Amino acid sequence: MAETTQKEINIPVADPNDPYAVPAAMPSSADKEPRSFDVADFATPTSKQDDWRYTPLDRISEFFDVFKPSGETTIAIGNTDGTAVDPAQVHVSQVKLGEGVSGTVSKPSDRAAAVEWNSGRTATIIELEGEIAKPILIDITGSGEDLDALHLVIAAADNAKADVIVEHHGLARLAEGVEVTTGRNSHVSTTFVQEWAKGSKHVANQRIHVGEGASLRHSVVTLGGDVVRIRMDQDFGGPQGDLNMLGIYFVDPGEHIEHRTMVVHNEPECKSRVVYKGALDGKDAHSTWVGNALIQPTAPGTDSYELNRNLVLTPGAIADSEPNLEIENGNIIGAGHASSVGRFDDEELFYLQSRGIPETEARKLVVRGFFGELVEEIGVPYISQHLMETIDRRLARGESDAMKAVLEDK
Amino acid sequence: MAEQHTLEIKDLYASVETKEGRKQILKGVNLTVHSGETHAIMGPNGSGKSTLAYTLAGHPKYEVDSGEALLDGVDILKQTPDLRAKEGLFLAMQYPVEVPGVSMTNFLRTAKTEIDGKAPAIRTWAKELGEAMKRLRMDPKFASRSVNDGFSGGEKKRAEVLQLELLKPKFAIMDETDSGLDVDALRIVSEGVNRAKENTGLGILMVTHYTRILKYIKPDIVHVFADGHFVKTGGPELADYLEEHGYDEYLPEGADSESALA
Repeated sequence: MAETTQKEINIPVADPNDPYAVPAAMPSSADKEPRSFDVADFATPTSKQDDWRYTPLDRISEFFDVFKPSGETTIAIGNTDGTAVDPAQVHVSQVKLGEGVSGTVSKPSDRAAAVEWNSGRTATIIELEGEIAKPILIDITGSGEDLDALHLVIAAADNAKADVIVEHHGLARLAEGVEVTTGRNSHVSTTFVQEWAKGSKHVANQRIHVGEGASLRHSVVTLGGDVVRIRMDQDFGGPQGDLNMLGIYFVDPGEHIEHRTMVVHNEPECKSRVVYKGALDGKDAHSTWVGNALIQPTAPGTDSYELNRNLVLTPGAIADSEPNLEIENGNIIGAGHASSVGRFDDEELFYLQSRGIPETEARKLVVRGFFGELVEEIGVPYISQHLMETIDRRLARGESDAMKAVLEDK
Repeated sequence: MAEQHTLEIKDLYASVETKEGRKQILKGVNLTVHSGETHAIMGPNGSGKSTLAYTLAGHPKYEVDSGEALLDGVDILKQTPDLRAKEGLFLAMQYPVEVPGVSMTNFLRTAKTEIDGKAPAIRTWAKELGEAMKRLRMDPKFASRSVNDGFSGGEKKRAEVLQLELLKPKFAIMDETDSGLDVDALRIVSEGVNRAKENTGLGILMVTHYTRILKYIKPDIVHVFADGHFVKTGGPELADYLEEHGYDEYLPEGADSESALA
């Protein structure tokens, strides 16, 4: 998109004597990438670059250069109960990429994000106002193996209250950009579910801005896809913002599921929690979680914590887990992190089996419990229930696959 | 009159992989247990008592070389551990395994559903669970905690007996259930086992090193297990004899003493 690349390009070059003079600068040792809409500002990813070191680059190379999108991906928007959204509170529009509020939440932070921006044509914008009682469902269905780009903006006004669920299904090769911006004193939850069909590829970037005094509960549930990589960059728009990021992933043999969260405390007295949990099943199941948290000198009174737990169900899986915490302010409430990779071991399995519980059921019980603890913390009954149902559906799928294998053997 | 069942172990040989290679631990075990009988299996450390318990329950570490274990005629050694449990075998473990993230309630209900082949009625089940826990002096909040997670040694043993009472097996192998229990806990746990036996006509194989628990759970038959098989069988008085004389005469100093006893 020629017009949009005309936008101001401001590659942050920090003055070593005053590294925070430019707001867009990322004075982070874990993330030195520029912020730009221009693809040319980013080198083509290689495994030598920190941001891409865990990613199977050869499997997603088509996402690194501007492409012609198929435009076939469909988006349906309604309430979760099937009724239409209330147009007085939920404004849905399609704009040319770069118009309206699209492109206003920060800037792309890696090459794939810049490619998405420059390959796409339009943005779907959902503007939320007032207290919205019914959860909103944005249903995205993949268009098959042709590469497509999709850009979504969720913008909540000051004092808005809303729950938004974004679901991805079908077979897809999708470059996706999501911008989430919440107004002052708003209380919003956004839940992104990936239930892609086998063979799908999904490379997404999310840019998130949490308003002053606002709370955002941001959940990502990735239960399927050949390669799914979601990079999330966040900052605060004023003091006393509250960000709660929750992630659940289930990785099958051969799949690569990657989540990268970049939480930036740039305002005073804000709170952030990042909790990601994943289960890996089978040979060459690969998960990556990289959690960056940066507490800038402008953010006294910060309270931040990030955690990642992985449960390896069967041998042959790889879980990469990397928390990075940079604290540049001594006057904070807390900054913590924890990371673990554990194994569902033979002794646990034997114990459950010795009580009459078959192996597949035992695994389900353990995985359900592992995620259940996290889902219970959500506190929004509809979302908790929805997520548990999604997880159960995923677990049931595993079972029927196992059953299929048995039948095929015979 | 409770139903009559039989567990018949016939000429069982089993091995374990060790760093030094494969090692045969069970060397021709023969035993028949009927419903309502309590057998004490006593013997020196390292004689293979626990191996027998785990081999019967189907622990993957132990491999059966030959022989069979028939529960009402069905050879359970050919089955996966969950099917053995469904046939009616229960192993109360010496070191119950912690399963983080899975609540006791959910675990017990799932196990009960699998064993019975149908989900228990919610109301009667909750009542039964509550009462069973109360009798074992277990804090109700244990039900919402993860399976054995952070339980003390005594709490774990109570949880094992709780499962025994709720799952109602035909035969229970109690592997050193008395180890690590103080006198009060030993009494409470023993009462639970006796209750299960009274209610269901359970047959019990009590694996123990000490006679302490046998004061609470009275054995009908006492066996001495040494070097991988039974070397002596007697009545309750044999336990008293062992208490006094120890296992010295059964220690594998040479094949002679062993064959003399067999």
